[in-house]
Amino acid sequence: MAQQHDTALIRVQRFNPDVDKKPYFDEFQISLEHDPTLLDALQLIKTSMDGSVTFRKSCRHAICGSCAMNVNGRNILVCHQPVRKFLDRKGRVTIRPLPYLPIIKDLVVDRTAFWEQYLRVKPWLVPPDNIPEKEFRMTPAEVEALNNAETCIMCGACYSACSVIGLTKKYIGPHALLKSFLRVIDPRDTIPGERLADLTGTDGVARCHTIFNCIDACPKNLDPTKAIETLRQLSQKRQALEEARRERQKTLIV
Amino acid sequence: MYKTTGFISFVLRRFTGVALVIYLFIHMWVIGSAIQGPEVFDARLNTVQTPFFKLAEIALLAAVVYHAFDGIRLLIVHYFKVTEYRKSMFYAVFAISAILTIAGGIPILLFMLEG
Repeated sequence: MAQQHDTALIRVQRFNPDVDKKPYFDEFQISLEHDPTLLDALQLIKTSMDGSVTFRKSCRHAICGSCAMNVNGRNILVCHQPVRKFLDRKGRVTIRPLPYLPIIKDLVVDRTAFWEQYLRVKPWLVPPDNIPEKEFRMTPAEVEALNNAETCIMCGACYSACSVIGLTKKYIGPHALLKSFLRVIDPRDTIPGERLADLTGTDGVARCHTIFNCIDACPKNLDPTKAIETLRQLSQKRQALEEARRERQKTLIV
Repeated sequence: MYKTTGFISFVLRRFTGVALVIYLFIHMWVIGSAIQGPEVFDARLNTVQTPFFKLAEIALLAAVVYHAFDGIRLLIVHYFKVTEYRKSMFYAVFAISAILTIAGGIPILLFMLEG
């Protein structure tokens, strides 16, 4: 049984590029009396110990994706994870910013590359010209095939955990490829072939080395690797997919 | 660095792949000497019969079996999309590689010790 601690030592990586040459750690002791989350701990530190600690946060219930950070070597959302869960035997937990991204300050990273790759795959639906009065008639099986990809909250945990991203920012990344999968599989989308064509370059689906860090990091239990594998297979049958899509859209709108 | 079983698998895959390429060149260097006559060939063969190369052979066996079975694991993942079993598949590959390396390495060691 794990040792129960009354207090926790929170180690926070600090870095102010205007002042510091390299990152360092500050340590803060907090009480675990009210079983705080990691975000609670950071907010306590900021309000009562060191107001200069900088981090992103918003919704506090794991839906906005703002508070993704690296805790004990794993990317998580700190708003809904209790401090106790991450304590080592000495009662310490280490919080770092998301890896492989430039640090703006402390735990805040520059997500420019993340968003650029996201926009690159045209993440919006391109529906048919004639929109139905009520709804598109998608079958339950077609919705299930999306594999909950629409629940992605764009937190960046998968992108920042990806070892290929650590090697090159040219790789599209699991987040954008998952979004592309969502659109390619969606029977309402009219450009699946064009999307797949954009992914077959050297920075697309072929760059994934099946390391699975994205699955391990995703706070919504999504499966970007499976999505990428599906895109890989579909990219070899683009024409057939496009023809099937045109046929399907004849019955999609009543 | 984000360390997971997947990352370890990836690094080992790269490392064993490079090791196998290097081995290929060494192998060609040894076998290719046959065209230079029996004296040169025998001399090269004697070089690779030393204990150092016997241990290197065991390392080579480990590299071959790991790379082969990890490749099979990847084929299964690619074609059957079984990401749910990614960790157990990795451990299975590691276990099979270890068992085969030990099974093949023991005779090599015994041969080396017999002199």
